[in-house]
Amino acid sequence: MSASTSPIVGKLDWTVTPYTDLLHQVNSSTIVGAGAASVLVLGAVAGGAVLTWMRWWGPLYRNWLTSADAKKIGIMYIALALVMLARGIIEGFVMRAHQATALGTLTEPESGLVAPDHFAQLFSTHGTIMIFFVAMPLLIGLINFVLPQQLGARDMAFPVLNQVSLGLTAAGAGLVMISLLIGKFGTGGWTMYPPYTGIQYSPGEGVDYWLWAILISGMGSTLTGMNFAVTIFKSRAPGMNFMRMPLFCWTSLCVAIMLIYAMPALTVSSAMLALDRYAGFHFFTNEAGGNMMNYANIFWMFGHPEVYILILPAFGVFSEISSTFSGKKLYGYTSLVIASMSIAVISFTVWLHHFFTMGQSAGVNIAFGIATMIIGIPTGVKIYDWMATLWRGRVRITAPIVYLTGFFLLFVIGGLSGIILANPSIDYQVHNSTFLVAHFHNVIIPGVLYGMLAGIHYWFPKAFGFRLDERWGRRTALLFVGGFVFTFMPLYVLGLMGMPRRSPTFQNPDFLPWMYVASFGAVLMLGALASLVWTFWTSYRNRAALAVPGGDPWNGATLEWSTPAPVPKWTFARIPEVKARDDWGETKRAGDPWKAPEGYDDIEMPADTPHGLLIAGAAFALGFAMVWHIWWLAALGFLAIPALLAWRGMKVIEPRIIPAAEVEEADRRFRATVASLAPATRADEESERNRGRPDLAEFAG
Amino acid sequence: MTKSNTGMVDPQESAAKELKTYALGFAASVLLTGVAFAAAISDLPAVWKVGIICLAALLQIVAHLRNFLHLSFSGGQSREDLLLVLFSVTLLAIMAGGTWYIMADLGGRMHEKGMMPHEASP
Ligand code: HEM
Ligand SMILES: [Cu+2]
Repeated sequence: MSASTSPIVGKLDWTVTPYTDLLHQVNSSTIVGAGAASVLVLGAVAGGAVLTWMRWWGPLYRNWLTSADAKKIGIMYIALALVMLARGIIEGFVMRAHQATALGTLTEPESGLVAPDHFAQLFSTHGTIMIFFVAMPLLIGLINFVLPQQLGARDMAFPVLNQVSLGLTAAGAGLVMISLLIGKFGTGGWTMYPPYTGIQYSPGEGVDYWLWAILISGMGSTLTGMNFAVTIFKSRAPGMNFMRMPLFCWTSLCVAIMLIYAMPALTVSSAMLALDRYAGFHFFTNEAGGNMMNYANIFWMFGHPEVYILILPAFGVFSEISSTFSGKKLYGYTSLVIASMSIAVISFTVWLHHFFTMGQSAGVNIAFGIATMIIGIPTGVKIYDWMATLWRGRVRITAPIVYLTGFFLLFVIGGLSGIILANPSIDYQVHNSTFLVAHFHNVIIPGVLYGMLAGIHYWFPKAFGFRLDERWGRRTALLFVGGFVFTFMPLYVLGLMGMPRRSPTFQNPDFLPWMYVASFGAVLMLGALASLVWTFWTSYRNRAALAVPGGDPWNGATLEWSTPAPVPKWTFARIPEVKARDDWGETKRAGDPWKAPEGYDDIEMPADTPHGLLIAGAAFALGFAMVWHIWWLAALGFLAIPALLAWRGMKVIEPRIIPAAEVEEADRRFRATVASLAPATRADEESERNRGRPDLAEFAG
Repeated sequence: MTKSNTGMVDPQESAAKELKTYALGFAASVLLTGVAFAAAISDLPAVWKVGIICLAALLQIVAHLRNFLHLSFSGGQSREDLLLVLFSVTLLAIMAGGTWYIMADLGGRMHEKGMMPHEASP
């Protein structure tokens, strides 16, 4: 990085790429760095080439990037998350490979695959990516796709705002991605605690990359929360009162509330840190009245609700699949609703357990420790409810059920290690050790990752019209379960042996065997990732055999299964009149569920618009320019956003009208298709006989 | 609550009235922001400054909720609006009160001046 700032390109110059480091010194660390940058560049070039070659730029722009359809926005969120997941898992693997070779000696402490500073960047980007750009877009994407369909709504309450949220999230992800090639990422972990991340100890662009990625994408998540909440309150189908909503909608409501109230805390703490770094403020500095402990306080005011934001949608998914794949009604609906809402509220009262060791008195620690243990109760209630749902059902061992089983076995262990950590006196022993790393991966992977992958498997046919290959789906799930056990169980042991987290090196040879086991697990995780990709690919090639035009491949009970697969852009030809909880199931029980509606009306849909794309571009330019001190571009990006809003505000925008005749034609064709299909029994669910029309005689749940 | 909402402004409510509400809210917000800045620049004692700024902030929140977000305690939505306000206040009280509790305790343990120590100093 150059010492002076140019008015045109800010602090950018030719020495910021990892290739310079490679030319400077060739070792495994610089090779890994340059290799990662090359993967990014080659990936972008290859992606562009494929789009050009196949002439897909136009369709991509018209059908996806400018679409305000919540279903498509949801799919784009998930696609973004899966790309970022690939990077996150590979980084996890590199870190495990590093630590397996990082046994140093007292005289020569530094060893291993990558340099200490590079290792610090790895865990910082890995953590940031996994939380903000994998877990969040996965769940927000899934909610976007599923929620309106389950509520009987055509779209989100604010379709264009939804597009903007996606754009902001993608802009943040883009900033993290580009830090591979241009400059370096921060080294302060995913929490970026000052004073280490203050300007005095971390000059340079690294922390700023994190700050702007978080500020921009955090804004998107706050807006998403509002969108979800308004949708649930205002756009439910007639008759869909609260206690008739499927459980996934309830957990979405909890997520919405928590996004609205928790995300601003993150925005505030990041903005304060940005002011410290850019404008000479002293919120978190050591001198001039700053207090860095308040950063930890505000950050975790967001951070703890965040972990429940991550887990609750997975709880929603598990509620849906445990009921569908056992052919039974969900056990204890009301208790699940109460438990979800309790979790949402209690999760705002426990944040101090992330800094028990910061020095406050025992009384404060105990208060928050007890609050933390209380939150285990509603979670326990849920686990029992799902087990009771499966109890004596005819459970089909589909891929989602494999994930559910893995979740049962592993999540309970992770939850219990959480209750252990909630005891301040124990936390004093194991905090900041790999015991903690094992704990949070133990809840996040079986909870969030399995839950979201199960959900993707479950709703995939609704989105694309064909099922995912069950055999490969199960293999993927088993690999993720096995991979988890081998990667993270050893970390509990290592933590108890005294290994600190975020260690670039260690001197105790007793750690090594466990390191090897963990590395083997990381290989399995890579295998799971490959298997996941292969599942999509092989299912795509077999899409004709796996097609389910009937739209109800799992004999489901909620509204989204009443429509064709793939679901048309207007979702429902006519907004359903909801008469019961699990309305589609009740309709099946009552007789002919595929009866055509009495009449059809014109449907009003939001018009396509590049608005979200433009705002995302402006936000990305703003973030990138601020990171590199390119002030003119920053001003431009900053002013472009209100200008775009004003411009759209002043334009007359006509919605797109889909004429009743077109809807009627499509709907009649769908009903004729269903009538022509042979009903498939549940035993045939995985075979080609499953065309999406289930055997109603078997419907009990 | 179950009736579907088209998200449209009530046609009975004339655009002029809408506009007036917004303009009022805007004027009030600008004024209250000005008051806060004036207080910061003035040479009042610090306690007064902080008090005035907090009061102006609270009033501005009320102005935003009333004039921009159409919150009202009378009319069709009053029950929901009341619940929403109570819920928000509860969560904010947890966050603000919790912060006070934690930071005051930490300050006390560091013998910071001007803070209220949670425990008597030794
Ligand atoms: C799939 C395989 C994964 C592997 C092999 C892996 C591996 C690792 C490793 C080695 C670390 C550093 C531990 C240390 O500090 O000593 C780490 C940290 C972390 N991981 Fe993972 N991880 C995986 C998946 C995930 C997932 C799915 C998430 C969340 C959705 C996640 C979130 C985090 C976070 C938040 C950190 C902390 C970063 C920090 O210290 O600031 N990881 N992981
Ligand atoms: Cu927590």
